Amino acid sequence: MVATNQCAREIQRHDGACWAFDISEARDLIEAVSAGNRPQGWSKALLSRLRVVEANANAVHLFGSYAGRERMLGQSLLDFWPMEGWHVLPGLIVGTVTGNPRSRARKLRVKSLVLRNPVLTAWMSDEPGLEQRLFLAIFAEPLDERSFWALRASQERYNNLIHHLPFAFLEVDSRAQADIFEDLRRRGLKDVGAYLDANPGDIQRSCEIVRITDVNKSAVELFGAHHASELIGPVDPLFAASPESARRVMINHFEGARSYSEVMKLRTMDGRLLDVSMSVIYPTRPEQLDITLIMLEDITERLRTEAQLRQLQSDYTRAARISMLGELASSIAHEVNQPLSAIRTYAETSLRWLSREEPNLEKVVQLTGRISDNARHAGEIVHRIRGMTARHVPRSASLDLNEVVDEALHFVRHEIETRSIDLSVRLGRELPPIWGDRVQLQQVVVNLLLNAVQAIQSGSENSGSIELTTDLDERGAVTLNIRDDGPGVAEGDLDRVFQSFFTTKDEGMGIGLAICQSIIAAHGGAIGASNWPGGGARFWFSLPAHR
Amino acid sequence: MSNTPLIAVVDDDEAVRDALLGLLQVEGLRALGYPSAGGFLIDFATRTFNCLITDVRMPGMGGLELQCCLIAMGSSIPVIFVTSAEDDATLAQATAAGAAGFFNKPLATGEFLRCLRAVLGPLDD
Repeated sequence: MVATNQCAREIQRHDGACWAFDISEARDLIEAVSAGNRPQGWSKALLSRLRVVEANANAVHLFGSYAGRERMLGQSLLDFWPMEGWHVLPGLIVGTVTGNPRSRARKLRVKSLVLRNPVLTAWMSDEPGLEQRLFLAIFAEPLDERSFWALRASQERYNNLIHHLPFAFLEVDSRAQADIFEDLRRRGLKDVGAYLDANPGDIQRSCEIVRITDVNKSAVELFGAHHASELIGPVDPLFAASPESARRVMINHFEGARSYSEVMKLRTMDGRLLDVSMSVIYPTRPEQLDITLIMLEDITERLRTEAQLRQLQSDYTRAARISMLGELASSIAHEVNQPLSAIRTYAETSLRWLSREEPNLEKVVQLTGRISDNARHAGEIVHRIRGMTARHVPRSASLDLNEVVDEALHFVRHEIETRSIDLSVRLGRELPPIWGDRVQLQQVVVNLLLNAVQAIQSGSENSGSIELTTDLDERGAVTLNIRDDGPGVAEGDLDRVFQSFFTTKDEGMGIGLAICQSIIAAHGGAIGASNWPGGGARFWFSLPAHR
Repeated sequence: MSNTPLIAVVDDDEAVRDALLGLLQVEGLRALGYPSAGGFLIDFATRTFNCLITDVRMPGMGGLELQCCLIAMGSSIPVIFVTSAEDDATLAQATAAGAAGFFNKPLATGEFLRCLRAVLGPLDD
């Protein structure tokens, strides 16, 4: 405690940047070097054994991270001192520690981009209790007073910014991993993905040697921790719920990517599982800071809301289908009635063949076969209806629009025929396939056809015509056009016609066209309506071709 | 042979038409089937039919139109309707134009055959 206070006093005295280091770990090496014994790599080893016990404000601003002074304490000199400044230190330090008197400050002029005529000073103290303390200071005239202060202010702003941004930031030291990669590259490795697949232990090791060195407030909150210190350490917990993400981050690091993003799962310190959007910014020139930045955004709520929206949309679409089928009820009844009627007549006929003096079994066999066919046909109709009303998980597949149109026509044919409407269908030949959900697209075609039928009905004429064509447009999109010769859409309504709950029908609910638009949009297509110059309305949609 | 009554069955639905033809066959009656009113009218010009059984709703010319057409041509051929259309307006129009029978699908076989026999009655041996 006494030593600490004295240390603090010693460095606060200084106008420049000043540190106090604990050299106890480095003692042996310093003695050896001073005696002429210089083992391989001694200078780097010496610097790595010097530990910060005190640092003044200028020191923190000059070389510190945005976490401030706390972060610097306990670090080894190598952790923060810029590499270009390493080479002058070992000599200076050995001389100071082993020199006599120790309190004589030894100075060196050094180079700096930021400071003018900087001087590096090293000394030890004669005070009792400070034997293991080495003081280092840098003093310089700033390039100009303003620029130094400007630098300090800018650093403050940066610190503030990072700390208070509503995104979680992690500062990560991945130098050890970068060294491993450099080594692998030198040995000729090209496909790091394959290498990692063959050596999964390497991924685990990487998660242990790559370290989180600083975090901001939002990161502490995101992880459900109470203090930043809980997060400092191996980067392993970040990937605990998403080990494959670690592999991908490593691959991008190896391949020299500038940044990499993905959505992944994150396990918080209090056991919750979140969906996060993670962005990694790798250290590359020109920064040469060797700091990897990881930004995290909690998107759990967003994903949950999106899932709910999708479910709502599915329910809504289904409601529209059921409502539409209600409008087709008499059509459906008629369609099922035909095979039913045939079955009844065939059965009665069979009974008559059987009740003859010489029953004609051959006939009965033939008729029974036809009964069976018609029963199956009726079943298919029911199956088709069921397909439309069932809860439907959208399933995309490669589809032929003409087939979808054909199936949709089954549903509305009766409606059209009973109203003496002329239907002309011209299907484009050799249209490319589209990618989409069959049931949903059928729903759109049926809806548009029904709309056309109802438009004609609402008109003053007793009959009308509908023209349906499929084709390829100039941009290669597959299009469908339905033209009717009803009264057309009121000019003022044209831009509202696809809005929810817009309807001109008495019993209309107005959800059909809105659903059509949302289905077509979800398929990456476009839908529209216009009035035909000759009278009547034209509804169309186009879908991208799937190649 | 030419005294045996010939019945025309007009319905665009193949199963219904075929079933009706089968029923007429087991009853020992001669019948020809047509998928459209137009097709029937072509044959009507060259054959003698004793009775027409027709659907109402068909693509192109419907049953009621066909009935009117025959009347306009001066024909008094009896027309029996077999249809899914259950609305009163259709029934009223058919009856007003002198239909010999009007039946809904699925066909009530007994009643239908009684009606048919009554229509053909005077021609039976």
